[in-house]
Amino acid sequence: MRPVECAACGNQVLCEKFSPAHTSVQWTAEAAVSCAEFRDRAGGGGGTTARLRTCRALRSSIDRAVADGTLEVDDVRTDA
Amino acid sequence: MTALDDEVRVIDAGRPPARFARGWHCLGLADAFKDGRPHEIEAFGTRLVVFQGRDDGALHVLNAYCPHMGGNLAQGTVKGDAVACPFHDWRWAGDGRCAGVPYARRVPPRARTRAWTALERNRQLFVWNDPEGNPPPPGVTIPELPGIHGPGAAEWSDWTWKTLRVEGSHCREIVDNVVDMAHFYYVHYAFPEYFKNVFDGHVATQYMESSPRGDMELGTLSAGRLRSDASYHGPSYMIDHLHSDVGGGLEMEIVLINCHYPIDENSFLLQYGAIVKRLPGMTDEQAADAARLTAEGATVGFEQDVEIWRNKTRIDNPLLTEEDGPVYQLRRWYEQFYVDAADVKDEMTRRFEFEVDTRRANEAWHAEVAENLARRAAGPAEAS
Repeated sequence: MRPVECAACGNQVLCEKFSPAHTSVQWTAEAAVSCAEFRDRAGGGGGTTARLRTCRALRSSIDRAVADGTLEVDDVRTDA
Repeated sequence: MTALDDEVRVIDAGRPPARFARGWHCLGLADAFKDGRPHEIEAFGTRLVVFQGRDDGALHVLNAYCPHMGGNLAQGTVKGDAVACPFHDWRWAGDGRCAGVPYARRVPPRARTRAWTALERNRQLFVWNDPEGNPPPPGVTIPELPGIHGPGAAEWSDWTWKTLRVEGSHCREIVDNVVDMAHFYYVHYAFPEYFKNVFDGHVATQYMESSPRGDMELGTLSAGRLRSDASYHGPSYMIDHLHSDVGGGLEMEIVLINCHYPIDENSFLLQYGAIVKRLPGMTDEQAADAARLTAEGATVGFEQDVEIWRNKTRIDNPLLTEEDGPVYQLRRWYEQFYVDAADVKDEMTRRFEFEVDTRRANEAWHAEVAENLARRAAGPAEAS
């Protein structure tokens, strides 16, 4: 897994992509506290973010990391 | 030969945990316990008694065995707000206190049995299990369903409820389904086209969009495209919000509950049920019918799950492909319910997301279903 930093709030997560459609994200801090978007949507106070499908800002940061090559996609790597 | 043998994958069956999960467990529909009689529940390696106080109207859960001489309170009778033992008529109140021994001058000073923390919600009854004996922490609760407790509850049908006893399997088998994308094709007859898991804290979610296989029938659940957004709230109670495409631009809203409680370390009682929101023009009766058809469709799937579990081995080291979903991470999440609260590690509860690439799998499955349909069209004798 490779670290990816969210451009919106600076929170860092670990990512892995087996293919362009696959994404695995391991958060390394409490999501409801460390992520600005989740903080708002989960209504603050910690708690679970498991009912929130994705953080849009983080998702764009991951897409950008793939586009600029800092996050490699397995398929691309093995096909190359 | 030895070189080959060295590479053979050896299944580690492990052993089921010696304790039962910390968390809320649904015992069934609350109304089923409100007939004025005590009810016996086989759970958590023991027996419990559930009864409704005659005066307070509340549902109470106690250890079934009377601390006096071990009589089974579930065979007794409800007297006032207490349950009376059939053996010597000792009375036990809902809080576990001995409410009286009719033939004795006084009640023994330490006469107290175990009262289980109970919760009535969603017209269901829950008990809290914690091997350490602590109360439920704040934030760990069973969410209220808007279809039951919300302002629009009148638009929803009543529950259709079903139970299935599963022997010889630990309940981890059913929890594994949360991440098992491919079994939805083989066991539940759907093409899972979108599949994502999110775990955080005590909640584990599965987002799925699927369409029916076309070569199988499952009632309401195979009518059309299905959007499913399902979460385990703790170790055993899953709320599945379903939107089923019923044609004409209409979606039927369904809530499917999938829950269980352990009977002992190697068997559990699976329970599931559905409520349906009335579509425009639908009568109460039609909505109830839709809920019944949904539950019956789920029955086919669950019975096939059970058939798999009955014949499979427990496996602690599954061999996975990229399409299989995060089995190990789900089990890491599930582990939090089997350790002392102080031993719950960040890695068990930190948010984890996994979106499966379903493209290749669905290409293969669509080809298979097309073949099945073609074979069936060619002649019924060849259908398999």
